Amino acid sequence: MSELGSLQFSLGAAAKPSPAVVARRVSHAFDTGSARKQVLHDVDFALERGEFVILTGPSGAGKTTLMTLIGALRSLQSGSIRVLDTELAGLAPGGQREVRRRIGFIFQDHNLFEALTAFQTLSLAMEVAGGRPGHRQARRRAARLLSMLGLEAYLDSKPRQMSTGQKQRIAIARALINEPPIIIADEPTAALDAETAGLVIKLLRELVEIGGASILMVTHDNRIFSAADRVLNMVDGRIAPSQ
Amino acid sequence: MLPRIGLGLRLLLHNRARLAVASASVAMGVVIVFVEFGLLLGMLDAQSLVANLVRGDLLIMNIARVNLHRWDKIDAVRLEQAAAVPGVARVTPVYEDHVGLRDPDDKRVRRIILYAFPPDDIPFKLADPAGISHALKISHGFLYDRLSRPIFGKFKMGDDIQIDTIPLRVDGYVSIGADIVNDGNILMSSGDWLSRSPDAKPIMGVIHLEPGVSVERERRRILTSLPPDVTVLTPAETAERESAYTLRSAPVGLLFAIGMLAGLIIGTINCYQVLYNEISDHLPQFATLKAMGFSTGSLRSIILGQAVVLSASGFATGLLCAWIADRYIAAQSMLPIRITVPSGLVVCSLTVAMCVIAGLIAIRRVAIADPAALY
Repeated sequence: MSELGSLQFSLGAAAKPSPAVVARRVSHAFDTGSARKQVLHDVDFALERGEFVILTGPSGAGKTTLMTLIGALRSLQSGSIRVLDTELAGLAPGGQREVRRRIGFIFQDHNLFEALTAFQTLSLAMEVAGGRPGHRQARRRAARLLSMLGLEAYLDSKPRQMSTGQKQRIAIARALINEPPIIIADEPTAALDAETAGLVIKLLRELVEIGGASILMVTHDNRIFSAADRVLNMVDGRIAPSQ
Repeated sequence: MLPRIGLGLRLLLHNRARLAVASASVAMGVVIVFVEFGLLLGMLDAQSLVANLVRGDLLIMNIARVNLHRWDKIDAVRLEQAAAVPGVARVTPVYEDHVGLRDPDDKRVRRIILYAFPPDDIPFKLADPAGISHALKISHGFLYDRLSRPIFGKFKMGDDIQIDTIPLRVDGYVSIGADIVNDGNILMSSGDWLSRSPDAKPIMGVIHLEPGVSVERERRRILTSLPPDVTVLTPAETAERESAYTLRSAPVGLLFAIGMLAGLIIGTINCYQVLYNEISDHLPQFATLKAMGFSTGSLRSIILGQAVVLSASGFATGLLCAWIADRYIAAQSMLPIRITVPSGLVVCSLTVAMCVIAGLIAIRRVAIADPAALY
């Protein structure tokens, strides 16, 4: 756990910080006319700072849509979402991009450029957070994070030299390298074996406890439910009452 | 939006087989442009070859002779009148005609251009003028242009070759060159030529001015002194006029421009196809970069970087292929086809422009990379 001590997450200094994410009466539909499909119905949701929330539920329940709206990956149709005190409703594409830069995204697929080494991938990610640090500093930072994920030997390796699980961990490192205050993850452990999945969940838990990061994760992997502060169930476009 | 060449290069280098095919695709357009450009420049150089060879300050010709391939002769008296103008040192008559050279091997007669002039006053910049002068004065034979197309047969110095049915001795060689219309040249003394063709008129006169005389002032003076049936140009103006005529009147300029345009379009389409596939294959990666907060402009700069890399590799490959093709075409056509530094720079700029345009078209595909679709 002490290895994470040097990763400082930038949380507000207020004594009682506002939630990292607040969603109010969020509704969303796809298509129009007879093909229109309402996927979210007046969803209210909050993710506190330093909280780890797992969103689960059947396929088509609206989890992904809610996640993409919170991640400023698509525009809001109705309702309000505040992410790190920025209102997403009516936000211009440039503003949405700025919000996304403060979020670490972990996707089901690693989506790594086959041409880039792990360091080059992380280096590209570092650029987006307002300028990449110097080469040496960037390498130190990348090496430290990779060692936490058990990939210290793969700093200069390309994806073809890695297993699927290792690639997924590089993708996780890419999401974490800029120490984002919010992490949005979609089935991050789906491609990992139990041991590696445990390692990743431990790291995410440390980010919450030590770094104060807020995590919203969609997963069906009930082995990791115990790592979350809350597990929310989504059904038919609504968050079901806590059991 | 500056192209990210380093990242573009890394992404392209990853799949070397694809990069090789992509470079070859772009190079195809480059070769077409280079060869068309080389042919055009070679043709223009060839058409103005004689003008560039002239050794003198001004040329006087029949005003009807709007290009050097016309046969409008000038009255010899006009050359004498020009020579009488103050400031003119002398005027060298140059005779030009077609003659038939009989191949000593297959006995076929082929047309060749004959230039005749006084052996003491060689009007062309040729190597070893003293030797040429001596050869033309002593033997009454002819000098053969070794850069003529190899269609006239094989013969050596001292052989008697039939020129218009009269045997004449090969007294030596000069280097002039063929052009699009003429396959080769021979040189003869004007005395010998006039003894065979007493009514021959000069095709032009090469004017040598007194030292220190203004060329422009002297030209005006000659033109005002002589009847208006002559034109007076510097050799450089004659060469420019020849190039302009070739480009304009003979529609070769248009033909080669269309050829070059076709090469550029082919290169652009090929480059676009390569970049389109490259983007399509990496759409999830580009969408991920978008999700991370990269702007569409940043992604475009990666594609532009790839376009610049493709233009460089395509140009290098194309330059090599075009150099080989030009050598072959030059050897076959005996035209001065070559790749020069200026023509290389022009084609290089066109290649970069071609690939950047292809990149700008392909870039639209990056805009559709939807990060929301990643979930």
